[in-house]
Amino acid sequence: MSRFELYSPEGLRLDGRRWNELRRFECSINTHAHASDGSSYLEQGNNKIVTLVKGPQEPILRSQLDATKASLNITVNITKFSKMERSKSSHKNERRVLEMQTALVRTFEKNVMLHLYPRTLIDIEIHVLQQDGGILGSLINSITLALIDSGIAMYDYVSAISIGLYDTTPLLDVNTLEENAMSTVTLGVIGKSEKLSLLSVEDKIPLDRLESVLAIGIAGAHRVRELMDNELRKHAAHRVAKSSAK
Amino acid sequence: MSVSAVSGGRKRLSEGLTVTQKVFVRSRNGGATKIVREHYLRNDIPCLSRSCSICPTIVVPDAKNELPKFVLSESPQDLKNIGKHYTVLDTNIVLQAIDLLENPNCFFDVIVPQIVLDEVRNKSYPVYTRLRNLCRDSDGKKRFIVFHNEFSEATFVERLKDESINDRNDRAIRKTCEWYLDHLAKSEIKIILVSNDRLNRISASDEKFITKSLYEYVELLPNSDEVKESMPNLDSSQYNKDAESINEFSYPEFYPTSRIMGGLKNGSLFQGNIQISEYNFLEGSVNIPSFSRPVLVVGQKNLNRAFNGDQVIVELLPESQWKAPSTVALDAEHYDVNDNPENDNEVDANLIADSQRRLLAENAITAQKSNKVQPTARVVAIPRRSWRQYVGQIAPNSVDTQTGGTQNVFVILMDKCLPKIRIRTRRATELLSKRIVVSIDSWPSNHKFPLGHFVRNLGGVEEAQAETEALLLEHDVEYRPFSKKVLECLPEEGHDWKAPVDLKSQDAIAKDPLLQKRVDLRDKLICSIDPPGCVDIDDALHAKKLPNGHFEVGVHIADVTHFVKAGTPLDAEGASRGTSVYLVDKRIDMLPMLLGTDLCSLKPYVDRFAFSVIWELDENADIVKVDFSKSVIRSREAFSYEQAQLRIDDKNQTDELTLGMRALLDLSIKLKQKRLDAGALNLASPEVKVHMDSETSDPGEVEIKKLLATNSLVEEFMLLANISVARKIYDSFPQTAMLRRHAAPPSTNFEILNEMLQKRKGLSISLESSKALADSLDRCVDKKDPYFNTLVRIMSTRCMMAAQYFYSGAYSYSDFRHYGLAVDIYTHFTSPIRRYCDVVAHRQLAGAIGYEPLDLSHRDKNKMEMICKNINRRHRNAQFAGRASIEYYVGQVMRNNESVETGYVIKVLNNGIVVIVPKFGVEGLIRLENLTKDTSSANFDEVDFKLTFTQIDTGKQREIHVFDKVEVQLKSVLDPVTSKRKAELLLK
Repeated sequence: MSRFELYSPEGLRLDGRRWNELRRFECSINTHAHASDGSSYLEQGNNKIVTLVKGPQEPILRSQLDATKASLNITVNITKFSKMERSKSSHKNERRVLEMQTALVRTFEKNVMLHLYPRTLIDIEIHVLQQDGGILGSLINSITLALIDSGIAMYDYVSAISIGLYDTTPLLDVNTLEENAMSTVTLGVIGKSEKLSLLSVEDKIPLDRLESVLAIGIAGAHRVRELMDNELRKHAAHRVAKSSAK
Repeated sequence: MSVSAVSGGRKRLSEGLTVTQKVFVRSRNGGATKIVREHYLRNDIPCLSRSCSICPTIVVPDAKNELPKFVLSESPQDLKNIGKHYTVLDTNIVLQAIDLLENPNCFFDVIVPQIVLDEVRNKSYPVYTRLRNLCRDSDGKKRFIVFHNEFSEATFVERLKDESINDRNDRAIRKTCEWYLDHLAKSEIKIILVSNDRLNRISASDEKFITKSLYEYVELLPNSDEVKESMPNLDSSQYNKDAESINEFSYPEFYPTSRIMGGLKNGSLFQGNIQISEYNFLEGSVNIPSFSRPVLVVGQKNLNRAFNGDQVIVELLPESQWKAPSTVALDAEHYDVNDNPENDNEVDANLIADSQRRLLAENAITAQKSNKVQPTARVVAIPRRSWRQYVGQIAPNSVDTQTGGTQNVFVILMDKCLPKIRIRTRRATELLSKRIVVSIDSWPSNHKFPLGHFVRNLGGVEEAQAETEALLLEHDVEYRPFSKKVLECLPEEGHDWKAPVDLKSQDAIAKDPLLQKRVDLRDKLICSIDPPGCVDIDDALHAKKLPNGHFEVGVHIADVTHFVKAGTPLDAEGASRGTSVYLVDKRIDMLPMLLGTDLCSLKPYVDRFAFSVIWELDENADIVKVDFSKSVIRSREAFSYEQAQLRIDDKNQTDELTLGMRALLDLSIKLKQKRLDAGALNLASPEVKVHMDSETSDPGEVEIKKLLATNSLVEEFMLLANISVARKIYDSFPQTAMLRRHAAPPSTNFEILNEMLQKRKGLSISLESSKALADSLDRCVDKKDPYFNTLVRIMSTRCMMAAQYFYSGAYSYSDFRHYGLAVDIYTHFTSPIRRYCDVVAHRQLAGAIGYEPLDLSHRDKNKMEMICKNINRRHRNAQFAGRASIEYYVGQVMRNNESVETGYVIKVLNNGIVVIVPKFGVEGLIRLENLTKDTSSANFDEVDFKLTFTQIDTGKQREIHVFDKVEVQLKSVLDPVTSKRKAELLLK
């Protein structure tokens, strides 16, 4: 028994959204121009994420060198203060974080044109300043933005979103309270297509419900892509205006 | 997206959607945590009034693509001096007067602000569910709606600096009222805020909407006199202020929350559920995990207003005050009979002091004598009340029949572990000797008895219908007819429904695509064996000898889940009822009659859907293989146990059906032997059956239930089916399989019984294993008295743990064990018509064999946990209700025939003995006053379980030991105080 009314009979969720509404989504790129080759800052609800991309650069270790393509290295730093209660451990070698890193590398290996940058390393560093559910999806969005900022060639946007299933109702873009109370699915969608680059289900979801969950998830991811695209174009227009003014 | 800051940290996201942060501090385990949550404000929250022309244009459909229904009437109730109005409720009204809100004659067109709903949910979940049900079901008549004021941009209020949360919430409610008033200005509908919070009403006084207390509001209603009767009785001082000054009696105040939190943490306070002794209503015990024995709470002040079943916080008393559980019997009804309900604050000091001092002294003596002292404690807080509606009757001596007006009277409850309730009523004289339902409102510390209010009248005492209803209410059994929504889930064909003749026919498959997966077993010679007159036939059997010398045995169970699909209202109703309840004169069905007695019932000579378990058993009745399938069967005959026995015994019958039945009987005997060898227990309970006169439906005679070999034939195969199914569903759903377990009894439960046996008979019961227990029970025989063994079995049954339903994720495999049946895993599968556990087991088995995918709710641990909790409770209540019904009718039977019977002493107390009479299955206390004239001469020896006293008539000394066989005179008497009929026993 959950202590909350997760989805009221009137169709409102805990935080006042309806079933198919995204959280507040704000992003900006090129936030850390001096520290990295590409960077982004993303707020998705109360998820706050800084991403830095370094590279393509010469690998520090020889083992990271691949003669045919660039190697991708992603580190996720979940800060101790990112949750309501300060955690004692840094989450560095936690299984959950390592798993997340692997999932991210696998997703982006397929979407970044790594073969264009042989014998190099692309290093992505993520700092989660605050988290509030559906973190994996937010990480993917922030990496997409930072990679685009760094100018590394990609096939298309990867936009991601988490969907929960409450009884029979899919709920788009879950927050922590919802995530803890129900099974959730995280989707990564490529561009405007319906191709999935990531599908992560950590609890049980009945097979007959999966279709409706995927449908709303893909629509949500497309909306996220659109929001990111708007921001990028705005930023680009701003930069073009600045350089032409010179 | 344009993002612009609105006032106070709000950000506009898009048209009609704004986000803000909800920030608050929560303390947990002594630390403080700052919680930040997003909070979205919107402008598409409709007022749901039919008179509104704006809101229908802004509504959005939900996930099922349905638009919200506009419920509030355009012409609501018209009150004098006020006009047409909607009512807005404050939290305190919902919590205090939920009964009144459910009353069909008042409260129409009610708006429940979301903040109120949240507050109610935090305070009391049951009240929250009732309120939600009201909002859901009251479309046409009562018209309750929830308005999400917290999410509406127009009505959201920010907490001000230095404003308490309560004040802010009150302000939010007022803001909602204000908004509604403005919003509905055109249609001239007034808003009345009903609140019992004086401060809230004062703050609202300069607003435009009307504010009333519950009392004032009810006064306004045209039918106020009738409604006022069921108003909650909060504090009488509200009505007669002069009583306030007299405050002689008072209970200790409860500790503040902070002290309790600290105390629980540092181990000086303990939390547990209190259980009031059934013999003494002033003594309770609390089971605390860290103590091996329960902690005693003795006396009115120490109990401190705790009700049976409340969750309490207790504090231990100093060791000098520890004592043994009292050996005195005490009922609420005979205690303090002379209290005056009108001014119960002003207690006759002498009377109380005396009766209590006497008790204390007696206790002190016994405590000194014995070494079995238990720690005692006192209640310092009651975090959760177990209050519900109670059935009782007005104590006649508390009613002043001369004066007509409203007066305070006492209501004595049927449950003797509970105190009297004080209610205010105008109809006291009219309600005398009626069974009435009351509900408790509060128990302030300066009141000796809790305050409550009248809910409704069930009918006269001893009228069969009123008594049955009282009994059902008292055991929380839902007995109202099935609702329309539930009945709509039944097959349209009604009684004409037929299983398709040809399973392959295209038409039938088109209707039910799963039909192809059914197996046709209509050629098997299947029969059912049940008690005579049984109409809901759950199970049928067949057996056939195979060419290899093995047997094919099939158990066929009614396929209830074909009709009861998960997630339908029918399923929800079944899940909430949990079980059918069998009373002497009535059966309360779990599922509608159409299913229970017709479509699902495996009646003979017709095709029925079934769920079949088919084994191949070898000659030793060991399972060679087992097969599960949904099937179609045709039962050849429905036997009663006796008919079946006759047919098997009749040597002239040699048809295949009879041969099959004989094979079944042989196999069942082998199965039973194997079970007993494994250590299954054969326990006894004093079960009797009441025969009803078929014409007058008056109870006729009482009979002890007989057992035939065919009873155990059916039982053995049902056990076998249950075990096989349990293994299968556990295999497929290791986390959520619906199972049933029976824990081994802790040895402390048997301590007293063993001591009695040791002392009196030189026997003992071993608890090493169920096998040892079964063997030692077999050894407990008294050559002179064949009944002694049964008596010991009855008493050991009471020391056992109750079996319980659980889902497999809740325990580890070793704890699945069913102690009584001596099997490692068990479930209930064979009676889906009358038990919900079986319905779940059916669905899980259907999922396990790939018949249809299992519903989500049976794959979710939390949901399974809720189901298990509910069916465990319902199962227990149903048993109690059944027993209470038998008890009542046995009382009625004895009313006509007084007799002298043999009884056995099962408990010796300080002031009486408890005797059980096997012939009627009744058990009763014989008080010391009825044993002897000179109560002071009586001597109670706790070590020997002996009571010595001078007999009334002969004047000789007499000793009574536990286990003694005694002759008792049985008669049924109507208690003048409680107007409850019960068997009274007198020693001969």
